[in-house]
Amino acid sequence: MNGSLPGTRRLLITWAILMGLTLVTMLSARLGGDARFQALPLWSAALLLATTGFKVHRVLMVYLNLRVSTPAWKGLFTAMTLATLTIIGAGYLMARFTG
Amino acid sequence: MPDPSAPHRGGDAPTESGWGPLSALPGNPLMWVLILSEMVVFAAFFGVFAWQRALEREVFDASQQLLDPVLGGINTMVLLTSGLFAALAVAAITQGQVVRCRRWLWAAFGLGVVFCAVKVYEYADKIGAGLTPETNTFFTWYYLLTGFHFAHVLFGLGLLALVAWRISHANVETATAFWHMVDLIWILLYPLVYLLR
Repeated sequence: MNGSLPGTRRLLITWAILMGLTLVTMLSARLGGDARFQALPLWSAALLLATTGFKVHRVLMVYLNLRVSTPAWKGLFTAMTLATLTIIGAGYLMARFTG
Repeated sequence: MPDPSAPHRGGDAPTESGWGPLSALPGNPLMWVLILSEMVVFAAFFGVFAWQRALEREVFDASQQLLDPVLGGINTMVLLTSGLFAALAVAAITQGQVVRCRRWLWAAFGLGVVFCAVKVYEYADKIGAGLTPETNTFFTWYYLLTGFHFAHVLFGLGLLALVAWRISHANVETATAFWHMVDLIWILLYPLVYLLR
């Protein structure tokens, strides 16, 4: 399948979004001052995982051009991403509340 | 001599219909099999890491604070920008712009080298401070996960250099897909190892 490639404009917008979300990820992890040594608030951890998921989705759909594929393939890779984030999130919550 | 910018599935690759459902994927279907496999392998690693964290939370929290999350963030941006250059290389070769494609590939390669330099600096800093894979469970996993990813980066750099030399549409598309996969794994690895606490 030779689907249409994303144009330069779309690639640049995606790159800008990815860079912005990386900054959001770093800010939501509260890296400055004493906050760095404290556990993250749950909302902050959730925001961090949500931005990570969105970034992975953008790389799959635009950089890897999965958007031109069938809904089944897009669904499979999206499900795989969500499953990975669920594993990470569940492990984090387990450590937080039982560790 | 065949046109290097002509889109095709590669020399001995089966025809589109020969790939079955995989033919609905863009680029080389085998690369997608690899991408899916790598995602599964890393998801399993992430799961074991998360489980170990639950078992030794204090060790993991204390050890994680010895990492530099800003350096990890900078490396994320470096890889994402390198991914942009790789995608622009595919766009260039699709338009028949071989010279431009080669430039984008070397630009992507250059940022990949920057990623490696930052990582080597980080490893040297940690090892210099006596933090080795034997230090504790966290650092065993830190070196295992980031080291395994680092090996993928090195392999990806080799691929980018190879296709910049032997340029063709299929080669560029396949090598850059691998490079994006390396990018994708790092996006997941960075918050897990450096940020979540």
